[in-house]
Amino acid sequence: MSETVLKIENLSRIFTMGKRKIQALSNLNLQVKRGEFVAIMGPSGSGKTTLLNVLGCLDKPTSGKVVLDEVDVAKLPEKELCKIRRNKIGFIFQTFNLLPYLSAIENVELPMENTKKSKSERKKRGRELLQLVGLAGREEHRPQRLSAGEQQRVAIARALANDPAIILADEPTGNLDTENKYEIVRLLGNLNINRGTTIVLVTHDSQVASHTERMLLLQDGRITKEKQGLHLTKKKLMCPYCGTKIQPDDKRCSSCKKRL
Amino acid sequence: MGALTRAVRNMSRRKMRTLLVIVALGFSMAIMVSIPPGIIANQTSTQSLTERFNSTITTMQEQINKTSTLMECSTSSGQGTFSGSQFGRPPGGSERAVFMNETEVNDIRSIEGVKDVVPFLETSSNETTSETISGPGGRSFTISRPLYTITGICLNSSFIENYSVLPTDITVGRNLREGDSGVLIMSSNLTDYFGVGVGGSVDINGESFTVVGICNQTGQGFFETRTVYMNISDAQITTGNTGNVSRIDVYAQDTSDVDGIATAIEAAYSGLTVTTYKDRLSQLQNMQTTYNETLTSAESTLSETQSVATQEIIVAVVAASLIVLFVMLYTVRERTKEIGTLKAIGFSNWNVMSQFMLEGILLSLAAGLVGIGIGSVGAPVLSGLLLPSINPFGSSGRSQFNPTQANFGAIGSRVASASLTPQLMLLALGGAVLLGALGSLYPAWRASRTRPAEAMRYE
Repeated sequence: MSETVLKIENLSRIFTMGKRKIQALSNLNLQVKRGEFVAIMGPSGSGKTTLLNVLGCLDKPTSGKVVLDEVDVAKLPEKELCKIRRNKIGFIFQTFNLLPYLSAIENVELPMENTKKSKSERKKRGRELLQLVGLAGREEHRPQRLSAGEQQRVAIARALANDPAIILADEPTGNLDTENKYEIVRLLGNLNINRGTTIVLVTHDSQVASHTERMLLLQDGRITKEKQGLHLTKKKLMCPYCGTKIQPDDKRCSSCKKRL
Repeated sequence: MGALTRAVRNMSRRKMRTLLVIVALGFSMAIMVSIPPGIIANQTSTQSLTERFNSTITTMQEQINKTSTLMECSTSSGQGTFSGSQFGRPPGGSERAVFMNETEVNDIRSIEGVKDVVPFLETSSNETTSETISGPGGRSFTISRPLYTITGICLNSSFIENYSVLPTDITVGRNLREGDSGVLIMSSNLTDYFGVGVGGSVDINGESFTVVGICNQTGQGFFETRTVYMNISDAQITTGNTGNVSRIDVYAQDTSDVDGIATAIEAAYSGLTVTTYKDRLSQLQNMQTTYNETLTSAESTLSETQSVATQEIIVAVVAASLIVLFVMLYTVRERTKEIGTLKAIGFSNWNVMSQFMLEGILLSLAAGLVGIGIGSVGAPVLSGLLLPSINPFGSSGRSQFNPTQANFGAIGSRVASASLTPQLMLLALGGAVLLGALGSLYPAWRASRTRPAEAMRYE
């Protein structure tokens, strides 16, 4: 299995609006290693969502290569792309995008529907994942009966359903209050530490981005800056602020009391 | 969690909208399922009319052939058709009979070539009844007529043996016989009025009679006969017509004598109308012409029905398909983001398309059930409103109803009623599935072709 889970080479995406051409992504290069937690930041219109859509096989690049788990997905037909989306990618959206007429567990089971898993296996996995995101006992609740933070947890559980190679999170904390925002970031961080899940997170929020391992700044369709985040230290189970030993589930450092 | 469960959940999510769509679609379906029974009913009516007409003509032809020597003489015009009420006007009509004297009967008997003269006294009861009858045009008529007819028969054994003078089709008791007096036979539809059966006693104009038999009435509906049969002398006394008769059946020695006798009677008694074998044959031909016209009209109505039905079914199918189409298009538009999400988590184009098609089919199937429900109760009304109906009175159901139109008493006025069969219900459900699939095909295809990146941006 390759070290690199995602490799982008000379990626361009041009939108044509009438006679106007808008270059959303321009000769972009990026590599994400397996087990990395990466944040992509940038102002509005910088191409964050376009990049995420291309990475998630929801959109096709105008030119360039997108190699996901050793498969160049840029040229694949829709039929193959849907299999890639189902098996290799997990999506987390800003507005959660849960199906309102399904319960929490049914939402989590949904991506497994077209796999070889039996109904009971799907149910079992759904329960495990909801337990993992801290929603044990809320399996039968419909989205409208869950708080925003809980809904995003269900969305995270859904993203993990088929054990994807990468999780793509588009502003996952954008609709959450501060408390829930950090809960979700911590949950994603723990998934990265405990399960080795590769996560690419797009956000406006520099505080959220700082809790990842690597921060990339996207401007005018190019990555212009790269910075190390606090998560790298946390991965070594050390407080990024004071270096005290911490546990993955700790919310604050026992020594400096800063939020982890 | 399968596509079917999701489809049902989605339908129940917007209950009021689903309900309204199902009701609207249900009415379209009801129209569709009510039309075929209407056609079948019209076909049955036409077939039944043909059979009954043919049977009537055959019976009449046989009867005419058997009575080639018979001349019917009656005092009031139009009443002198053979065998009295069977093909005649409604019994006990408002016109009062004019009587002839028994002396005239004896005079006729003495005409050369006459074999027998059988007198009858037919007169109406004093009691009257008002009846409302409705015609296919939706019009109704109230008619006052005598409650029953009193028929006096000459109970001479030679007449009874040789001629058809007695009522037929005795269901209870016995028929009249020579020497009977103070007894009567009544048609079965009078038992309720008099409240007695065989052996009971009834009062006719103050005289008491014992019921010895009950016979079946003839005709149906408005043309139904209500008659009491008794000895002619009893009838003459009871009705105050001693020495009078209202009709005589004159039998010639030979068929070749008929024309001469008829001319002699008409010359001697200008008030008498004589109906001979030839007249009856001519009447039969007229009747046959009328029947043929009626059948032609029924067949033309049937053909019109089929043409109208085809148009109406096409309109209903198009309307139902459009309802499904627009509802599903709206649903697809409303759920664009959901489509994007489904695609993002790995649903294929086919998965998305089948999901929406299934919803359209389910909606249509539910409407089909509602339509069958409405149709099974309202098919006769709906098909009556939507299709021209066969009118046994000789023209299509939208024309005016003429209660005095002659000679349909024995035929009856029943029109087959439209009703749904289990086969038709199954066919309708199959049609509903097909219609749902047809109507949701394009919206579902559009949903499946939605590009996920665009769908995710949709608010």
